[in-house]
This record gives sequence, C-alpha cells and structure tokens, in this order.
Amino acid sequence: MRVWLRHAGSGAILGISLVGALLLTIAIGLVWMPYNPIAIDLAHPLAPPALHHWFGTDEFGRDVLSRSMLGARISVLIALATVAVAITLGTTLGLLAGYLRGWTDRVLMMGTDTVLAFPGILLALALIAVLGSSNGSIILALSTAYTPSVVRVVRSTVLSIREREFIEASRSAGDSALETIVRHVLPNVLPPVVVLATSLFGWAMLSESALSFLGVGVPPPAPTWGNMLSESRPYMDIAGWLSIVPGLCIAGTLLGINLLGDALRDWLDPRRES
Amino acid sequence: MAVAHTLKTLAVCGVLLLGCAIAWARAGEVPRAPLLRARLNSDIVSTNPGTRRDENTDGVLLHIVEGLVASREDGSVGPMLASRWSISADGRVYTFALRPEVMFHNGAPLTSAEVVWSLKRYLKPETRWRCLEVFGPTGIARVESISAPDPHTVVVTLDRAAPMFLTTLARADCGGTGITHPASVAADGSWITPIGTGPFQLGEWRHNQFVQLKRFPLYAALPGPRDGNTGGKHALVDELRFLIIPDSSAARAALVRGSLDIIDNLAPSELMGIRGRTDLQFQSVPILDCYTVLIQTQDPALQDVRVRTAIALTIDAVGLTKAITRGNGSANNSPIPVASPFHHSVEAQLRQVNVAKARELLKAGGYDGHAIKLVTSRRDPQMFDAAVVIQAMAAEAGLQLQIDTVDWPAHLSRYIAGTYQLMVQSFSARLDPALSFGVFIGDKREEPRKVWDTPRSRELFDQTLQTADPASRQAVFDTLTRDFLEEVPAVVLYNSSHLSVVRSAVIGHQNWVSAQPRLWGVSLR
Amino acid sequence: MLGYICKRLLLTLPTLLLVAVAVFLIIRLIPGDPAVVLLGEGADAASIAGVRADLGLDRPLPVQFFSWFGHALRGDLGRSIVSGEPVGASILQHFGITAAVVLVAVTFATLIAAAAGLIAAWRRNTAIDLAVVGAATVVLAVPSFWLGLVLLLLFGLKLGWLPFVGYVPFSESAGQAVLFLVLPVVTLTITESGVLTRMMRASSIDVLQLDYVTHARAKGLSERAVLVRHVFPNAFAPTLTLVGLTLGHLLGGIAVIETVFTLPGLGRLMVDSVLARDYPVVQGCLLFTAVVYVVVNLLVDLCYPIFDPRVTAR
Repeated sequence: MRVWLRHAGSGAILGISLVGALLLTIAIGLVWMPYNPIAIDLAHPLAPPALHHWFGTDEFGRDVLSRSMLGARISVLIALATVAVAITLGTTLGLLAGYLRGWTDRVLMMGTDTVLAFPGILLALALIAVLGSSNGSIILALSTAYTPSVVRVVRSTVLSIREREFIEASRSAGDSALETIVRHVLPNVLPPVVVLATSLFGWAMLSESALSFLGVGVPPPAPTWGNMLSESRPYMDIAGWLSIVPGLCIAGTLLGINLLGDALRDWLDPRRES
Repeated sequence: MAVAHTLKTLAVCGVLLLGCAIAWARAGEVPRAPLLRARLNSDIVSTNPGTRRDENTDGVLLHIVEGLVASREDGSVGPMLASRWSISADGRVYTFALRPEVMFHNGAPLTSAEVVWSLKRYLKPETRWRCLEVFGPTGIARVESISAPDPHTVVVTLDRAAPMFLTTLARADCGGTGITHPASVAADGSWITPIGTGPFQLGEWRHNQFVQLKRFPLYAALPGPRDGNTGGKHALVDELRFLIIPDSSAARAALVRGSLDIIDNLAPSELMGIRGRTDLQFQSVPILDCYTVLIQTQDPALQDVRVRTAIALTIDAVGLTKAITRGNGSANNSPIPVASPFHHSVEAQLRQVNVAKARELLKAGGYDGHAIKLVTSRRDPQMFDAAVVIQAMAAEAGLQLQIDTVDWPAHLSRYIAGTYQLMVQSFSARLDPALSFGVFIGDKREEPRKVWDTPRSRELFDQTLQTADPASRQAVFDTLTRDFLEEVPAVVLYNSSHLSVVRSAVIGHQNWVSAQPRLWGVSLR
Repeated sequence: MLGYICKRLLLTLPTLLLVAVAVFLIIRLIPGDPAVVLLGEGADAASIAGVRADLGLDRPLPVQFFSWFGHALRGDLGRSIVSGEPVGASILQHFGITAAVVLVAVTFATLIAAAAGLIAAWRRNTAIDLAVVGAATVVLAVPSFWLGLVLLLLFGLKLGWLPFVGYVPFSESAGQAVLFLVLPVVTLTITESGVLTRMMRASSIDVLQLDYVTHARAKGLSERAVLVRHVFPNAFAPTLTLVGLTLGHLLGGIAVIETVFTLPGLGRLMVDSVLARDYPVVQGCLLFTAVVYVVVNLLVDLCYPIFDPRVTAR
C-alpha cells in the first residue's frame, strides 16, 4: 500500500480529495442541511450567493446549497445503483458466455448486440416512459443500457484466460465449472471490471444529467445535479450560479472518480509503472 | 521538433480558415426588409384547416383561410366572408350574404358554389373535421341542408335553433371553418394545399425549420381597423416567416441577436433575461385560457367535498400566479377568464388561504395522511411549476401530494380517460364562456375527461347554450360559478397573459385574447 | 474480402430483426395513444377510434408488425403520424445534419487525440504530458451539454460572433451553414477528444516500450520517422476501435447537443418522436441507427489491419 501511495502521484491524491469531499458532503447532508431543500420561498427567488444562502436560491426561492447536498446523495445513489446492477448482471452474463461458449454464448451475444444497437439515451428514454419517472425506473433504464458493455468486457477477458494453464489444472483436478469460475476465472476478471466500474459510474452520472436535461429525469421536487442544471437554463445569464454550481459538482465528482480510477488501474496493473 | 512544428502550422491555418469562413458568412447576412420573422414553438402539423391541428397550426392557417364569420377582438362573432346574415324566426335558417369582391389565392372569385363545397366537405366524415361532433347527435344541431340560391348567397338550415352556431363556425380550432377553393383538393379527395382568401398565401413549408407565407396582392380587406380575426386585415410585409424554435431560451436569444422579430408568447421564465432592454417592446395581454387543477371526484380519496375544499384552501392563487407567471397572469378561481366580458363580481371572488381550516376539513373528511398523486407534464413549464408550488403549499396543511411527471401523450391520455387523482391541466383559449365551462361539465360515462358531472350543472350549462341574451346568460354563469366554488370539482388557478416581445423596428403588433399570433397589420421600420 | 464482408453482414440480420421487434413492442408499451396526441385535449371517443383506424392501429399487433417490416425491407418506412411526411426522407434529412456534425467533430477530435496522445506519451512525465493528461481528464468530466450551453452563452449571446439558433442547409448557403455548425462541432470535438487522447496516450506508452521501437532507434532512424512510421500506426489501432464505438453511440447521445443548439438532427428526431408516440418514425429511426451502427463497426474492423498488420481480417 505504501509503495502504491509513493507512486500514486498528485493525480490520485487529487482524486481521493475530491471523492472524499463528495462523501463528506453526503454524510453531512444526511444529518443537517442549511435549509429544507424542497421548501419554496416565493418571496426570494433567484437570490445571488450571499450570507443567508451561500449558493443563492433558485426560481422558487429554494436554497441551492441544500439542494446540491441532497442532489449529491440522489445523483450518487442512482449512479452507484446503476453500476451495481450493471456490474453484477453483466459479470454474471459475461462469465457464462465466455466460459460456457456454444449456444449460451451465441444467444447472450445476440441479446447484448441487440441492446447495443439501440442508442443508449433513447433506450433509457423509452424504458422510463414505459415504467414511469422514478428513481427505480431510471436505475433500471441506465443499467439496461450499460450491462452489454460489461458483458462484452468480461466475456473477452474470460476468453483470453480460459485456455491458460491454471484453468486446465483446475479442470483436470475435477473441479466443477462453477468452482473453476469462482475460484480461478473470477479473480482474474475483477481488475478490468473494477476499472470499468469507475468509468461506468461517471457515465451513469452524465447520463442521468442528460436524461434530466431532456426532461425525463428524477421527478420533482427531488433535486439531482442533472435536473438542477436543466432547470437553470432559462436563467443562465441572470442567475449564473444556478448552472455553475451543479455543473461544477458534476465535473468535480467525475474528475475525482476518473483520477481514482486511473490510480486503481495503475495499482492493479504494475506493468504500467515506470 | 518537426512534428510539433507541422501541428502548429496546421493549427494556425485552421484558425485562419475558420476566421475567413465566419467573415464570408457574416458578409452575406444582410436581412431583407420586407420579411417579418415570428416564432412557433413547434412545427405545424398540416395545412388542412380544422382537421389535423394544434394551436400553432390554427394560428398559421388563419392567416391563409377565412370563414363566413370570425371572432372579434372581444371574442364575439363578426362578419368575415359574409358581409351580413339573417336568422329566421325559429332560429333554424341562416342566410349569409357574401362579399362580392373577395378572391381566392388562385385568382378565382369567391362565389356561393365554393362556400357550399367547403362547408359540405367539412361535414363529410372522411375529412375528419375537428368540429364535426358539434353537428352530430351529441352536438348543438344537425345541418339539414346547405344551398346557394344565387352566386352571392348561402343558406344553411339546421334541424333546431342553435345560438352557438356562429360561434362554432368562428372557432379557431375548427379552422375558422375556412372556405377553400375546390382546387385545394385532388381528384381523389386528398389534400394538396390551402387555397384560401386570406391576406397571406402559403409559401414554403420546410419541416421543423420554418413556414413561409407570402402576401396575397389581390386581398380584399374589410373596411375599418383590425378587429380580432376579422376587421381590416392588411398584409404589410411581402413575406412572413414562422421560424420553428422549440426551445424558449434559444428563441429569446434569437430575438436579442436580431435573428427573430417577434415572439408573441414569451415564456415567463425568459422575461428576467430581457426586461429593461431598450431595443425591445413589451406587451402583456390577458388571454382567455385557463390553468387549473382537475380533481377526479370518483376517486375514493377525493369523493368527500371536504377533502376537495381543503385542497382548494391550501392554494394561494395570487402568490402562485405571481411566482409562476412573473406577474404576467391573473389569479382566478372561476372558470370564466378574467379578460372575458362575462367576468364580474361573482366570478372575481378569490378564496382566501386558510391552512387551519384546511387541516380541520382534511381530518373531518377522513384524510389519513397518505400520498395523493398530482399529475403534471413538463411540456408546459407553467404546468410543471404549478405542480411544484401546489405540492409545497399543500404540505403546509399536512396534505401529502406526490408529483407524477409524465410526458405529453401520457398526460393527454390520462386526462381523456380520467385516470388520475389530481391533475394540473391548461386549457387553450375559449372565446365564449359557455365553452370555458364546457371543458369541466359533462357526463363522465360518455366523456371521462369531464370533472363536473351533476344534473344541476349540466342543466344550467344547457341553458347557456340555448340563450343568446347576454343578461340571462350572465345570471346563469353566476350561478354556475357559485356552485363550482362550493362543489370543487376542480380548482381554477389563473388565466395567463401572453407576453409579446418584439424588436423596436416592428410596428403595429398587438396580441389579443385568443392567444393566436396575428401578423397582418404588422410592418418593419 | 468480399466474402468476409457478406458473411459479416449476414450475421447481423438476426440482430436487426430482433431490434425491429424490440422497437415495435417497446414503443407500444409506453402509455399514451398517438391518436389522442393528434386530436388534442378535446378528443372524443368516436374521433379517437376514427384516427386509430386511419393509422392502422386497430389491427392486431403481428399484422401491424409484418406490414411495417415488409414495407421496410422494400425501403418504405411509412409516414409520420405527426407530420404525414415520408419517414425515410425525413430520416435522411435529419441524418445529414447529424452526420455532418458528428463526422467533422470526431475527425477533429481524432486528429487532436492522435497528435496530443502521441506527444504526451513520447514526452512522458514532463510538463507537456501533465498538461495533456490534465486537460483530457478535465474534459472527460464536463457534461457536454453544459459545455455547449456555456459556449453558446459566450459566443452566441455575449460576444455575438456566432448565430444562436437554427440551421441553414448547405444547399442554400454553404457559408451560413458552416456558421451554424461551428459551435456544436467545437463542443462535440472538445468532449470527445478527452477519452480518445487518453486511449492514444496509453497505447502509445505501451508501443514505445516495445523492442522493435528500441531496435528502430538503434538502427539510426530519426525520432520523427520512428514516431510516425512505427509507433503511430500500432498505437492508433485501439484508438480507432474507440472511434468506431464513439461514432456509434453518438448517434443517439447527440440528442442533447442538438437540443442545446436547436439543430434538427437525428438525435432530436428520435427523442421528439418517442415523446410524441410517432410510431413509424421511432421504428424507422431505430432500424436505421442499428444498420448504421453495424456498418460503422464493420468499416472500423476492416480498417484495423491497415494500422496493425499483426491483425488480419479473418
């Protein structure tokens, strides 16, 4: 660990700081927020950042800081849940396809190719329209769009290692397919999956904000950084803080996640060191 | 080193090229004066009046076609292609005298033959005329015959007296019952293009980009000033272009930059960005639309009138209106819009917010704190904002509302089927107060979208359709309003105002209560 | 080679059929009747039934599907419910705009990424490397539509250098057309160059460490020759795959950019037609996109051997 930290460099440290700040914000937000994030105050709309409201207020007089804190929780939750579902489902399917080959593989590949042929945003849009706007349907829609990528990565990794000696050894030692998969294949599949997970988190967050921008995101009055950004559009030139704050939050979080992902990749793949 | 050097050269060349392109393009950007550019927030859906339609389509097509009668500035009905008319004593026979000087866009003169042809075409089911049901079994009357005793007279005979007949003919959503020349339709009955009599004719329709209208030089205007859809309609520019710009922020920016001349309905949220600019003219005109919260009275949670009254008592219509419309709306609890001539003291009553009473009523009505769903849509930002504000206001009385945001088709479908508990809905401008009440009153079994289904309300409503006398109609409207406020089948929130913003070079633009764009009589300096 | 192409295309047919069925079913699962949308708030049951019959929506689902698919195979994608215009022509028109923006932007992004990634890898751990990696990472984190909005505000509104809204086709005025496309292309270029640069840099680092590069240097070749003729082609191959994937996913993802810049492109057409329940347009668009996606991936796979001779088209 200490060796890794020494090699980590400024990138990883910045990444850890940003992610740490995010987690801290969420943790604080669980117990305290300066104002009720959904309480409206029609007497003070579009107030600029000041002592009373550090990040100003939006068009309904709601405190932007409180909404950003709650938004952090919701945006991160949606992204995390999406990643969790996509990784779990994708890894399982990818393992099955890559290890078992044959018809299982062909059917699974046809399925993933079909899903991949749909433009992701549109698939998500259609699914959310069918299921109704809610956190659950957004998570389901985004995971459906991202699972094929995970399946592909896992499958290609499995394909490249299934012919290796230790797999042969395990098979000839009489282990069942399941045992081989869990004890030998899975640990080798994990590194690229972990890296993919960090990228997925970023994509999921971006997609959620894009969906909110198109009007099908998390339903009101719950704030996410994405829907705060989209609702700030008419006021961009007179109330810039409304778009700067959520934009910076998204950018900062993604930056932290990407830097952390980079550091993770370097740690897991020592060949790249030098 | 060499690679870097090459890259740097390429970059510099690229920037230079870009600069040249920009300069060259800007040079060609001289706007031509006789062109007036207005905005539509979505493409029109057809050029066949009164058939496939939405509000934007009606607005554009009413520059091209005209009907026998048309709406005046105050919403009443006035002459258009018919210079005058007479109604028989039993109210069934309408005799219209046509104006002799009117020409179609293809040069043919207007005669009774074309009028008869047009009217009969509307009444054919395959035309899919939007207002055909008004002349069907559940409508105001059936048309028994349409005849042309001479080239300048048209006689329409109904099966019974129908005071709303002319109002229906003038309705924008009926296409103004616009008279078109038979050459508008192909031999097999399919629609070609609208050959009408209006001050403009259809030019180019470039889908999702713009609709171009050209001045009709042979237009014969009525004498007098502009008056609603009638009066003197003069095309003062050679070319009219309705640019299709769905995004209101983009529209505002286009106006500011000079790529657009007129926004006749600026979204209130865009107002703050341009208030105070001296190169723009602002005008706010109250229109006869209606923003309301519909209540499904058959839902078990909302059957008790005390619960419904409680909901109404939590809503501060004045505060809500001011916030959502940025001061460009009129709070109203009555179905009759504030700008209507029939809006008097009874209609002007506004409920006072009373959170304590609301709590009491909720308890008495058996409300147990469970969430009631409020359906809204983002298609209209005001509808969306209203839901957010109402939810917050209701929460103060302990009323838990859960906002269900759906897209427009889902919203419409649920509205028509009545499958909601609470729904924020906006109704486009109705020029006659009977029509304003008509959106609420009806038989739920036949039309699930109607929220007010009591024998008394339906009876009173029928009365308003049967009389033409303003005084007696006003009395009935007053009674209906009182009942509406007591029984709370819906909570009316406000009537909006259309905020028009035009560049200072635009002369003569004036919005009116129907919320349609009206670009005759408008010119550029 | 031709046989390989044909075989690849044939293999995609079952997928395309699956896509067609999936689109057909999903769009009909979404609540909301197109007939109701057409008729608006005053629609009564009789008119709705009449319009549904007009649109053929009252036929049993399999009949509707085979009728549509049969026509599609012959090139007739039907007519839009909302506008009545032929779907095929509409798609091509919108696709032209999207393709212009996407192709130009991705080309620029690829050029930038190839150059920057290679240089950063070549001058690894120096200030240049840090700058490139830093820029690429930051760019990756910025939402494209936010960037677009900011650029639009700056150049469109505040500075007024570029037009704010709309689109002019090339046929009408090439100069004007370019103006309207500058901001969307710039936005897209910036956002896409981030991930491409990082990929290029990573693979360049890998290649630079390989034996034959050291060997080439030892032979006395100039740095420039080594980079251009030995490192670049091999390092570029994985980036090219990523370019293919990017082109594919941008076809839908560009909907947001088109919304910000009000461009009547394919992304916007798809979103709008789903939101309007315009079944023929949605079905036509998705079928079209699936076909384009397959073709693009095929092309990228075919180009791969050009850059990496170790990979042969099997």
